[in-house]
Amino acid sequence: MSRPSSPLGLHKQLDAIWRTPPGLARLSSVNHTILGKRFMALALLFFAIGGLLSMLIRAQLATPNSAFIGPELYNQIFTMHGTVMMFLFAIPMFEGFAIYMLPKLLGARDLAFPRLTAYGFWCYLFGGSILIVAMLAGVAPDGGWFMYTPLSSKPYTPGINADVWLLGITFVEISAVTAAVEIFVTILKMRAPGMALTRMPLFAWYMLVTAGMMIIGFPPLILGSILLEMERAFDLPFFDPTRGGDPLLWQHLFWLFGHPEVYIIFLPGAGALTTIIPVFAQRPILGYRAIIAAIVAMAFLSFGLWVHHMFTVGIPHLALAFFSAASALVAIPTAVQIFAWIGTLASGRPRWDIPMLYVAGFFVVFVIGGLTGVMLAMVPFNTQAHDSHFVVAHLHYVLVGGFVFPMLAAIYYWLPHISGRQSLYRLSVPAFWLILIGFNLTFFLMHLTGLMGMPRRISTYPSNWGWDWLNLLSSVGGFILTMGFALVLADMVLQFRFGARFRRDPWRAGTLEWATATPPPSYNFASIPHIETRADQLLPAHIGPTLAGGNGYLGFARNGVQETLAVDMMSGAAEQLIVLPRRSFLPLWTALATASFFLALLFKLYWLAPFGALATLVLFLFWPLSLGARTDRGPLDIGRGLAVPPDVEAPDNVTVLANRTALVMNGTLFASLLFGGLFLLVVAPNWQGTSGPILPLWAGALALVTSLSAAGLTVVAGRNPGATMRLRVSLLATLLMQILAMALLTLAMSALGDPTGHARQAVAFVTLGYAVLHCGLGAVIAAHALWRHAQGYVSARRRTELALARLWNGYAGGVVILALGLVALLSMSGSAP
Amino acid sequence: MFYGSALLFALVIALFALAYLRPAWVTRITPAQWILGGGLILPIPILILLTGTALVLGEQLLPKGDAPLRFGAHAERWQWNFTYPDGEEMAGEVLHIPAGQPVDVAVTSADVIHSFWVPRLGGKIDAIPGHENLIRLEADEPGIYWGQCAEYCGPGHDGMWFRIEAHAVEDFAALMEEQQ
Amino acid sequence: MKTMIGTPLVRLIAGFVIWAVGFVVLYAVQALGCAYGWGDWHRPVLIGLYLLALIPLIWLAMPARAGAEDGPLHMAALWANRAALVAAILVFLPTTFASLCI
Repeated sequence: MSRPSSPLGLHKQLDAIWRTPPGLARLSSVNHTILGKRFMALALLFFAIGGLLSMLIRAQLATPNSAFIGPELYNQIFTMHGTVMMFLFAIPMFEGFAIYMLPKLLGARDLAFPRLTAYGFWCYLFGGSILIVAMLAGVAPDGGWFMYTPLSSKPYTPGINADVWLLGITFVEISAVTAAVEIFVTILKMRAPGMALTRMPLFAWYMLVTAGMMIIGFPPLILGSILLEMERAFDLPFFDPTRGGDPLLWQHLFWLFGHPEVYIIFLPGAGALTTIIPVFAQRPILGYRAIIAAIVAMAFLSFGLWVHHMFTVGIPHLALAFFSAASALVAIPTAVQIFAWIGTLASGRPRWDIPMLYVAGFFVVFVIGGLTGVMLAMVPFNTQAHDSHFVVAHLHYVLVGGFVFPMLAAIYYWLPHISGRQSLYRLSVPAFWLILIGFNLTFFLMHLTGLMGMPRRISTYPSNWGWDWLNLLSSVGGFILTMGFALVLADMVLQFRFGARFRRDPWRAGTLEWATATPPPSYNFASIPHIETRADQLLPAHIGPTLAGGNGYLGFARNGVQETLAVDMMSGAAEQLIVLPRRSFLPLWTALATASFFLALLFKLYWLAPFGALATLVLFLFWPLSLGARTDRGPLDIGRGLAVPPDVEAPDNVTVLANRTALVMNGTLFASLLFGGLFLLVVAPNWQGTSGPILPLWAGALALVTSLSAAGLTVVAGRNPGATMRLRVSLLATLLMQILAMALLTLAMSALGDPTGHARQAVAFVTLGYAVLHCGLGAVIAAHALWRHAQGYVSARRRTELALARLWNGYAGGVVILALGLVALLSMSGSAP
Repeated sequence: MFYGSALLFALVIALFALAYLRPAWVTRITPAQWILGGGLILPIPILILLTGTALVLGEQLLPKGDAPLRFGAHAERWQWNFTYPDGEEMAGEVLHIPAGQPVDVAVTSADVIHSFWVPRLGGKIDAIPGHENLIRLEADEPGIYWGQCAEYCGPGHDGMWFRIEAHAVEDFAALMEEQQ
Repeated sequence: MKTMIGTPLVRLIAGFVIWAVGFVVLYAVQALGCAYGWGDWHRPVLIGLYLLALIPLIWLAMPARAGAEDGPLHMAALWANRAALVAAILVFLPTTFASLCI
C-alpha cells in the first residue's frame, strides 16, 4: 500500500483499479455509475417507444368510427403501451436511478454486488428486446397489460403473443429481483462509517422500503407468469375453470403484485422530492421520523389494496369492505408526506428554480390522482367507474404525477451531476408548460368520458354519444404533451453539449453525492468520509476536496483490489472491509445463457431449455472463483487509525445477508404457490367428484427424513469448520441425502396422476417440482462448499460458504415439509360443498 | 364527492402557493402542526365518513333476499344471450325487464371474462367462466338502456353492445304470456 | 423474542406485520366460512379474530415503560405501530356489519 502525495496521484492510482477501459471492454463493465446510466438511458428509450405507441392510441381514438388501425393492431398497441411503460420504463428507470445514486449518497464506492448489477442490466436489455422485436414482427402481446386469463390462455391466444409477454417480462423481472436484493443489502450494510440508520438521508429510507416491497411484491407476479406459461406450454390447468382451475387466481396473483407496484413506483419519486424540496426550501426536511413511519405504513397498507382492482368480480361485500377501507386509509400516509413537503417549504426560505417548477407540477397532478383514487376506493363508485376511461385518467394522474413529474424534477436536479454541466434554462420552462397543459388536457377529459360510459380498451366508438369532441381534445392534448417531452429531451442533449461547467455542488445541497467530482470518477470517493451529523445536512462543497485529498477512510490504493467498507446495520460503525469483484464478461455470458433458456421456451424448443438453465447455473458457479481468500488476514488498516476484518472473515457479511434476503423472496414465491393451491381448493369450480392426487406415503415420509437430515448435516458441518474430516463427511452426506430426496420426490410426482387432467394434480405436481428443485439447489450449494473447502477458501473464520449451505438446505427442508403438507391436503380433502 | 375533491385540491395547491408567498401566519405554523393537521386531522374524519357512507350504500345495492325475477345474461365472444326467468331465450341482444321493480341478472360466461354494464342502471359485474355472478338492477322508467361489455375480451370487444328494454309491468306480463 | 422486539428495525415494522397477518387471516376465514357454510358461527369467529389482532397492537402502541430501551428509531417505530393499530381498528371494523357472503 502506498500513500500518494497529491489528490491527482491518488486519483490516478484508484482510477487504474476501478475504471472501465474503452472499446469492447465496456461490455465487461460492472461499475454502478456506468450501469446506472445505461439503465436510465435504456429506460428513456423505452419511454419514447411507449410514448409513440400512446400517440397511435390517441390518433385512433381522436375520431369516432376510426379506421386508422384495426382492433387487432390496436389491441397489441395498448397492451404494449402499458407493458412498456410499467415494466420497461418505470421500474428500470428508478432502479437505474437508485443504482447510480445510492452508493454516492451513502458514501460507498459501488453497490454490494457489481456483477449482479451488470447481469440485471443484460437481462433487462435482452428481455425488453424480445418484446420490441415481437412487436416489430407483428406478434406483440395483445391481452392487455394485465393479461387476464382465460383470454391469455392457449384457446383464446393460440399464437406466440402471450408467451412473448410472459417470458419477456419474467426475463426483465430478473433485473428487478437482483436490483431489489442489491439495493436492500447495500443500504443496510454499505454506508459511510458513522451514518447510523437514523442519520441516513430519507431517499435511502425510501429506497430501503421500496426494495423491501419489491422483495415481497414481485414473487406473486413471477409465480403467476410461470404458472400461466406452464398452462400454455404443457397444458397444466391452473386457470382453466373446466378442469378445476380458476381465472380469478391469475387476478389475485397479478394484483398482489400490481397494486404494491404502483407504490413501488411512487416511493422512489417521493424519495427524490424529499431530497429536492429541502434544498430549495433551504431548511432540513420537516418530520424526518414521521416520514419514516408514513412510508412504512404506506408499504404495508399498499399490500392490502389488491382486491380493489377486482371489486366487480363477485367477491362478498365484507371482503370488499376490507380492501375499500385499506384503500381509503392509504391516503393518510400520503397526506402526511404531502404536508411534510409543504410545511418544509412554508417554514424555510424557499427559492425558485427549474426543479421546483416540476415539483409544483407534481403537486397539481398527483393530488388530483390521489383524490380520484379515494373515489375509486368506494365500492359503489368503483363498480360504476371500473374499466372505464375514468380509471385510465386516474392511473395516469397517479403514475405521471407520482413518478414522471418527480423524475423530471430529478433530471433537472441531478443531470448536472451526470454531465458535469449546468442546465441552459431556455427550453425547460416552455417544456414544463407544454407537459402540464398537454397532460391535463389529455387526461382530465378522460374523467368525463369515463363517467359518460366510455369503457377502456375499445378501438372505436359510435359518434352519437357525446364523446367525440372530448376524445378529439384528449388527442390534441396528447400531442402537446409529446412536444413537451421532446423539448425536455432536446434540453438534455443541449446540456451535455453546451452547459456551463461547475466546480462542486451547484444547488448548495446537503447530501453526499455532491461531494464527488462531477462527472463522478469510477471509484466515487477517493476516500470515504466519517459522518457525524444527519447525512442530509452535510456540506458537500467542503467535504469533497477533503475526501479527494485522501483524508478519509481507505484513502489509498492497496494490492490493486477494489476496496470499500461495510458497517454495522444500525449504528453505522465501521465493521468490514469489502473487496469487490473486478470487471468481468461473466455477467454477459451468464445473461446470454439465460437468454438461451428463455428463447428456447419461447420457440417451443423444450429439449433445449434445460441446457440453457444448466449453462446459466454452471456459469453462476464460476462467479465466486475470483472472490474469497485462502488465508486469514485479521483486521486490516482502513485509515483514520481504524482496522477492521475483511468481509470474508465477518460472520454476517453482505453475501450472507443477500442470501437471506433472496430466501425471503423465494419464500414469498413459494407462499404464493401454497396460497394458489389453497385458493383453488376453496374457491375454484369443478372440484366435485374428482379424485385427488395420490401421494405414495412411504416416498413422502422418506423424502422428508432425507431432506431434513441434509439440513441437519449442514448445521453439523458449520459447527466446527476446523474439523476437516467431519466437515467433509457431513457435506458429502448432505449432498447424497438431497439427491436421494430428489429421487423420492420425483417418484412421488410421477405417481400423482395426470397433471393435465385437473388443477389438483397440477398444483401437487408443481409444488413437488419446486421441492425437487430446492433439494437440488441445496445439493449444489453443499457441493460448492465442499469444493471451496478443498480449495482452501474455508476456515474457522472464513465460513460464508458453510453459512450458505446451511441457509439453502434449511430452506429446502422447510419447503419439503410444506409441499408434502399441501399435497397431502389436496389428496385427502373433498372439495368445498 | 366531486365538490369535496375540488375543495381539497384547491386547499393543497393554495397551501403550496402560500409556502412561496409566505404571509406571516404561514411561517408561524410549527412542524408538528403541519404534519398532524394536514396529515392526520384533515383526512381521517373525511375518509371515515366517506368509507362508512360508501359501505352502507354498498350494502343496500346487494342482491339480498329473493328478487321477484331472475334473468340470465350469458356472454360469449362477442355477444350476449339473455334468458327470461323461466329459462326461455330472448331474441337478439336485448334483455327485456319490467320497469319500476328490482330484478336480478345472473351473469355467466362461456369463454373469457366479460363484464356486464348498463351505465344508466348501475354498476358492473364481471362474467367469469366457471362462476355465476348476480347483480341487482332497477329501471325506474320504461325505455331503452344501452349496455356494453366493460372487460376487455379480445378483438370483438368494441362491438359487444347490447340493449335493455324496460317495459311497464303490464306490458312485461303480456310479453311473458306471449313467450309461452 | 424479547430481544428481537427490542431491535429498532423489527419494532418499526412489527405493528404492520401483525396488521398484515390479521388482514390475511380475516380474509381467509371470511372465504372459508362462505365456502364451507359456517352460518351463524361465521361472524362471531371473525369478530373474535378482529379483537384478538388488536391485543398485540395495543401493547405495541403504548409508549415504552420507564427503563425500557429508548433507541434512536423509537419515535418512528411508535408512530408506525400506532398507525397500525388505527389501521386495524378501521380496516377490520366491517366484520361487525358488512354482508358476509354476498
